[in-house]
Amino acid sequence: MMLLASILIVPLSAGLLCLLVQSRRVMQGLNVFAFAATLALGVCLLPEVLAHGAVEEWDEFLRADALSAFMVLLISVVSLATSLYAGRYFERDLAANAVTPGRVREFFVLTPLFATGMFLVVLANNLGVMWAAVEGTALTSVLLVALYNRRTSLEAAWKYVMLGSLGLALALFGTVLLYAAASKDQAERLPSFNWSHLMSVAPELDPRLVKLAFAFALVGYGTKAGLAPMHTWLPDAHSEAPSPTSAMLSGVSLKIALYALLRFHILTTACVDSAFSRHLLLGFGLISMFLAVPFILVQQNLKRMLAYSSLEHVGLICAGIAMNTSLTIFGALLHMGYHALTKPVLFFAAGNIHQTFHTLEFRLIGPGVVKVLPVTVLLMGLAALAAAGLPPFGLFFSELTVISGGIAAGKVTVSVLVLVALIACFCGILQQLTRILLGATKREPASDARPTDGLAAMALLLGALLVFSVWLPSPLLELMRQAAGIIGGKQ
Amino acid sequence: MNMNLPSTTELGSQLITLMAALMLVVQLLMVVQRMLLTNIRLFAIQSLFLGGIAVVVAFVHHASHVYVIAGLTLIGKVVLLPRLLTRLVHRIQIHQEIEPLLNAPASMLVCGGLTLLGYVVARPFTSLERLGNNTLAVAITLLLTGFFLMINRRKAITQVLALLTIENGVMLAAVALTSYGMPLVVELGIFFDVMVAVMVLGILVYRIRESFASMDTSKLNQLKG
Repeated sequence: MMLLASILIVPLSAGLLCLLVQSRRVMQGLNVFAFAATLALGVCLLPEVLAHGAVEEWDEFLRADALSAFMVLLISVVSLATSLYAGRYFERDLAANAVTPGRVREFFVLTPLFATGMFLVVLANNLGVMWAAVEGTALTSVLLVALYNRRTSLEAAWKYVMLGSLGLALALFGTVLLYAAASKDQAERLPSFNWSHLMSVAPELDPRLVKLAFAFALVGYGTKAGLAPMHTWLPDAHSEAPSPTSAMLSGVSLKIALYALLRFHILTTACVDSAFSRHLLLGFGLISMFLAVPFILVQQNLKRMLAYSSLEHVGLICAGIAMNTSLTIFGALLHMGYHALTKPVLFFAAGNIHQTFHTLEFRLIGPGVVKVLPVTVLLMGLAALAAAGLPPFGLFFSELTVISGGIAAGKVTVSVLVLVALIACFCGILQQLTRILLGATKREPASDARPTDGLAAMALLLGALLVFSVWLPSPLLELMRQAAGIIGGKQ
Repeated sequence: MNMNLPSTTELGSQLITLMAALMLVVQLLMVVQRMLLTNIRLFAIQSLFLGGIAVVVAFVHHASHVYVIAGLTLIGKVVLLPRLLTRLVHRIQIHQEIEPLLNAPASMLVCGGLTLLGYVVARPFTSLERLGNNTLAVAITLLLTGFFLMINRRKAITQVLALLTIENGVMLAAVALTSYGMPLVVELGIFFDVMVAVMVLGILVYRIRESFASMDTSKLNQLKG
């Protein structure tokens, strides 16, 4: 069976089919169906990967190991929730004349294409194809960011595409350098640029070129992953995009860029030694965490605050991987998964609040949203507690795993720094959200409240978060352990 | 026949060096040129040299897939993209003159410095170059001056042009450092991405022009903090 190929073809054809159909209900149905199918395929992929270590298709063009299979599951879940949420969201926007029907069709066409790009990033064996796929996700998502066609969303889209393209040009340079390292002494025939081949010859590659390639890839893919100080597009794009797109951007798109960077990190580790790329990753991770703190504390805009919180989480994932013990890497992967389940809920809730109050400014939303949108606020509150890192939610355990793993490995300073940043963000997020969510209502909503909007999508993600927080099925656990092994260089 | 082979390689290497140098010259002309349409034509000429380099590489190495790459470069970057950009310029009827932040002599001085930097950075790696000397240095210089072009100009469409010259630089590095450029599937992916990128950017430029009645990107300054 062509598992990997179907994971790419299903969303691609769903997106293209949306060009043909007229009914929005059918378009949404196609989206939901496509992502439910990729989720099912991802689950089918799981035992295959566990049994064989890696699955290859199309003459080794596509390849999935434990790390890719894990990412496939994340992309599918978040996209599924997004497409469940998007139908009602855009109906309401259409009723309020915030978008035109043409733009809504654009959303349902581009979202599956965006997801297809992400699937190709994680399934491509060839690192050059991986680059092209990352660029493809940037190009599809930029049109989604500009969907509302407001002045501010055009500004955000322009900054996103310019910074993203610049970053990706540097990443392409890094890719070229890596290819140059691989084509050493092979003047007669075209050397393979496949990941599987590169890993087998990694120790023989020119270390200078590989280091240089990693540096370029770090700045390049790091821009797309939102690492500070290249993150400036991130809050703009996340706040101006429609909420379903913000959820996809924050929930998975950042991690896809991180995945691309990780592939370079693993290769560099196999070629030189891990210290070089680890130190760089750690530096960028810690800077991202600490830079996010003040912006969360003084933020006036709900979605921008959520975007900065994503910056902090990406920083933590980088730091966890950079500490390079099996425990911290495992914790970082756990964190990636839990964060992907949590952050979209917050963005969906922010979308409901935005549509009810017609603003995202904290002072204009005012206190007492709980009276207007009780269900949304309940789910948002739970997700906020999870994102802040309180038990019984998984993010608490993953953060604990990273920190305790760091301390156990003797990296006390780094662990304490991580802990400080986490606590600061914890206070910031909870303080900001209690300000608007709880208390007595002072402002009337601008349009009538529809408290149950998006319930299915939010409940799906939160339910999954709760279940996986207390119980990780053993195949999934094994998959993540293997993925951690790949990142840690113990294949 | 065997006696001829080294001289072909030698000649090819010299041709590549020459054309890479010409790419750099065109880049510097773009830095000082103030008319938008001329800038687009200069980009087409620069891409023509890139395509020429690919043809030489294909000929010297007898690598048929590089002819495909050369063909794509010639069709895409020399004909299609400049035509697309020119149509966009006519469609949105903008003022022809580019208003750079730094004037021409100062820009030239900066680019001179960047060229020097490019050569310094490339120096440890020159032994790795397969064909032509100094091509890596030129590629890095194209990258750096492309960045400079991008920050020195405020019109959205000139920033698109700067991005394209940066991409030209990276492709030159690909030819200079590897045996015959990247594998075909990668080149196809890059080519496709660049075409789509210009279309997406064109759409955005058009929309920005409609909402702001201007293409000046320094007016995109509302989002902060």
